[in-house]
Formats: sequence, structure tokens, C-alpha cells
Amino acid sequence: MFSTVLIANRGEIALRVARTCKELDLRVVAVHSTEDRDSAVVRFADEAVQIGPAAARHSYLSVPAIVEAALRTGADAVHPGYGFLSEDPVLAEECAANGIVFIGPPPGVIERLGDKTAARALMHEAGLPLLPGSLHALGTADEALAVADSIGYPVIIKAAAGGGGRGLRVVPEPGAFARAYQETRAQAQTLFGDGRVYVERYLGSARHVEIQILCDAYGNGVHLGERDCSVQRRHQKLVEEAPAPALPDGLAERMGESAVRGALAAGYVGAGTFEFLVAPDGSFSFMEVNCRIQVEHPVTEMVTGIDLVREQIRVAARARLAFTQDDVAVRGVAIECRLNAEDPRRDFAPAPGVLTRFEPPGGPFVRVDTHGYPGYRVPAVYDSLLAKLIVWAPDRPAAIARMQRALDEFHITGPGVHTTAAFLREVIDHPLFRHAKHDTAFVAQFLAADPHDPGGSV
Amino acid sequence: MTLAPEQPVHDLAPDTAAELIDLVGAVREHATRLIVDLSTAPSAVRVRAGDVLVELEWQSAAPVAPDHPAPTAHSSTPATANAPAGPVPPDTRAAGPPGERTIAAPSVGTFYRSPEPGAPPFVAEGDLVAPGRQVGIVEVMKLMIPVHADRAGRIARFLVDDNEPVEYGQPLVALDAAAE
Repeated sequence: MFSTVLIANRGEIALRVARTCKELDLRVVAVHSTEDRDSAVVRFADEAVQIGPAAARHSYLSVPAIVEAALRTGADAVHPGYGFLSEDPVLAEECAANGIVFIGPPPGVIERLGDKTAARALMHEAGLPLLPGSLHALGTADEALAVADSIGYPVIIKAAAGGGGRGLRVVPEPGAFARAYQETRAQAQTLFGDGRVYVERYLGSARHVEIQILCDAYGNGVHLGERDCSVQRRHQKLVEEAPAPALPDGLAERMGESAVRGALAAGYVGAGTFEFLVAPDGSFSFMEVNCRIQVEHPVTEMVTGIDLVREQIRVAARARLAFTQDDVAVRGVAIECRLNAEDPRRDFAPAPGVLTRFEPPGGPFVRVDTHGYPGYRVPAVYDSLLAKLIVWAPDRPAAIARMQRALDEFHITGPGVHTTAAFLREVIDHPLFRHAKHDTAFVAQFLAADPHDPGGSV
Repeated sequence: MTLAPEQPVHDLAPDTAAELIDLVGAVREHATRLIVDLSTAPSAVRVRAGDVLVELEWQSAAPVAPDHPAPTAHSSTPATANAPAGPVPPDTRAAGPPGERTIAAPSVGTFYRSPEPGAPPFVAEGDLVAPGRQVGIVEVMKLMIPVHADRAGRIARFLVDDNEPVEYGQPLVALDAAAE
């Protein structure tokens, strides 16, 4: 096992990882920008290093600054969290070159699966079902248009280096293709430094269901069940739950087996997520692999009783998986709501500021993963996720009731500060969500039906 | 203020578009931070790049916070969107006498006072330096980042020993700016 883990991230995930490290009796090093000098993880950590200015590209995205901080503090492992450098093979390589363990898949695996076209080709070979689309990055606009025409509309253009719901465009009909193609390429170049894109069929009505997998370095892999993340706004997940409600019998099991087969084919080590789309007819298609711990991982932890960060750290330290597929049992229902510092009444514009009041809910089977505290200043320069509220209950109606109770109990106020709490309460109260009849278009329809007061503010 | 985060850039070449998105993003980020720091939200924010002008406007009916007496603020220093290029705002942890300024570390790393081991230091205590004069190096992962004086003055003292680890923004050198 390691002695010291450096956490190359910020916000709630940095604190969440630090907590498991403490439970494993590991020393924790936090790194932070000038903006995050007073953050919760800096207070929690055994040691903190200021690695750069507020701009992430010179702090949380600076591989030299992070490796330097790790070397100086004697860290023998780096946990990248999600976002930032979590799926950057360069950080994984630099860690290895300096004798530090990167807590994540090997650099070659990150690189291959991070290229969405290469991942599609690999999973196609491993026998996973794909949506009709291109198996390689597209060249000229004419070539791409020909591919789109052969797939049939609507199609979605996605950045090969993309992920996290960024760098994609839905194209409803051929006339809109050329412009969307150019825009997506420009955006991909800006966001990811890689302008390559590919095209696949777009399912207007589908559910986003993903499988959590865990592999050790000895070729053992298990899946920890599925999560439904269909409640999305502009490809950003808002509410997640485990297990996925009302799936056809045996479907989740088949998806789980596919994910493990795909992971082992890719030589995967660590925790990862296979994202699938489930069509109304019950067929499923592979979308992409996320080579990191995910924002919504707590719902899986709540229904399996397995601490995913702990397992990530164990397998990174070359331990064997301590359980087999037969040992994994899913119990009850867990739901997560993402409370973002955004104003639903102003088209979800960021609404950061100082939290004069911050009172998270408590009570039975309620978990709050947050870096917020009274007096904390939510910075304007990073993403707006402020807290994740997770509840567990034996069944779905009880979990929804518990989530509503917990949302009502969550008090966050401050000058200029708004959150999505009240909006999310309306979302989970909606009959479509209650009856698990919602798909990825649900939030857009919900907002279109009531554009003037989509929840308000807290 | 209305700066859309995803303005269409389809009429531009990808590289120009990328640069523009970057630039707009940086301006937006700085403006948002400025607004967050104000006690009363302004009704308008104007940002100009040439000769840098930042103008804030409040509705005359709205109370103007007493700690912001001037509704219009002119900045004379260029905005630094890409931090390492500009001077690093030093931490307040080593506040010296009035008139004394500090030069801060441009990166986390190791501070060196000389160009190479055994060589004479870039500057010594008591030296007069001009703006832009190199006073040291911070090494991060074999990358040598020069440390420059951002103003004229006299080197009062070194706050960090040679070959010592430093954090980003840590004060390295105290500069007696009164000698300007």
C-alpha cells in the first residue's frame, strides 16, 4: 500500500477522495490554486501545496506543477479525481516516469479509450453493439455528409477526444450538417486541442444507462451494476440513480457482462464506466468509456456497499480484487441530485458568491458530498457543482420521498447565490420521473412546458 | 452584461475561432470575478482591450456601496489572462515594511539564485534593479522559469534560500520600491 496520496483535483471530489485516504491511514496532500487557498480539502489534508493561479490551465491542468508537488511532498501515488487531468495520459506517463503511481488505468489504455473512434472500433471487435456510425474520424465536410446521409437523420457529431457532454452537436436534417460539422470541429479543437470528429445516429428518445466496472492488474474484472443518468440538461447529468428503473428483464445483466468483456479486452485496470444508450425497444448501444471515478459514483456505492475510491486505490497498489461477481449484490435504490450554483431562472447561468448560510440535510440514509461550508466563497472560475445529495431507501418511491425531504432541508443562501435545488425537486416530483417513463429529452420538455418559472431559486 | 459562452463562431477559421473563444472566455472569467467581488451588482460592465479600460456602471437609483465611491474605475495595468506571462500577485504571508514589495514565484518548484551551481547570483542584497531584471530561477520538472523584477528598486533581502522548494505565488525577494 502507499504511504502518501496527492489529490490532483479540487471541490467535492478532492475532499471525498481525501476522506477514503484517511480511512486507509494514508497521508493526504492537497494541491490548490490561489483561488482555492481556503478550500475544504486544503483544511482537511495533512499537507497542501499551492500549485498555480486561479486559471486551471496553469494549476489543476499543469502536469509539471502537479508532479513537482508530488515529488516534493513524498507522495507515492496521485489520485486525479474526475475532470481536469483524470483522463490525461500525459499525467499518467509523467507519474510513471517519476516513480509515482497514477491511480487510474495505464496510460496506453487511457489514450486508446479516450479516442472515442478508437474505443468504438475496439468495442466493436469485442462484440459490443454500437449505434450506426463512423468507426474512424471523418475528413472533409463532403465525406462526413456522405456518412451522415448513409446513417440517416438525426445524427450526432461528436469530438473524438470529447467527453463529459462537451464537443457535440445534434443535426436534425442534411441541410444543417455542413455548418454543425464545422462548428463541432472548431469547438473540439478549442476544448480538447484535437479537431477530429465522428458521426453516429442520434436517438431522440433513449435512456442513458451506464455500467460501473472494476478491474485489477491480474485480468480480473467485475461490474457493480448500472446507473440511470437520463435526467440531463444539454448533455449534463442532473439526477442519477441505481439501479436503472423499469429496464426489461435481464438487460442490465447483459450490459454488465458486455462492459466487463469490453474492459478486459482493453486491458483496463481500475474503476471505469461504460456508457450505453438504451432505445425504447430495449436494445442497447455502446457510447463511450470513462476512465475515471465519476461524479455519480456514490449511487453505486450506496446500493453495493463498496467504496469505489478505496477499490481504486487498492488495485492501483497491485492488490487483487477482494470479491468476485457473485459477491456483488445490489440492494435498494439510491438517487443522487447535483446541486449546482446556477440560476434556473436565468437559463442556468452560474450564480457563485459567498455562502452566508449553508446547512446540508441529515437524517437516515442521507449522504452529502460537498466542499461547501458557511462563509465559503464559491469561485466563478470553476464548474458550478456545489454539492451532491445522495439518498438510499429500500424502494424507489421511498427514495424519491426521502430525496424531497432532504432537498427541502438543504439551505443554501448568499448574495447572488442560486442553486438548482428547488428545480431538481420539481424534476423528481414529475409524473414521468416518478413512473420511470423519462428519457434523455425529459428535462428539455419539462423546461419547454414551463419556461417562466422552472423551479426558482433557493 | 451579456457575454454568451457559446457564441457561434462558424464564420471564422477554426484557429481564429479557437483563439476568440479562449479570449472571450478569459474576459468573461475576469469580469465575472470582478462582479462577484462587488457588494452591489453593477448594471453595466464595459471592457476595452486597447489601453485597457474597465468601466462599471450602477443605476443611479441603486445605492452605491461606500467602499466603491467611484462608479468608474480606470485600470492602468494590462489584464493578464494567461498568468505566467504577467507579474504574479504575491501572497500576503510575508508582509514587510511600507514601500517594500515582493517578487513572487511564477510556479511551484525550486528557487535558484544563480544561473547554475557555483555561478555568481543574478543579484545580491543591496543591488539596484531595473524592471525586467532577472533575479532568480524557479525550476519545475527541469523547466527553468526566470524570475524577473516587475519594478525598479533595491533588493532588500531574499525571503527564500537558494535551492529551496517554493509554492506558486510565494514571495521570493523583498524589493525596496521606495528607491524608485
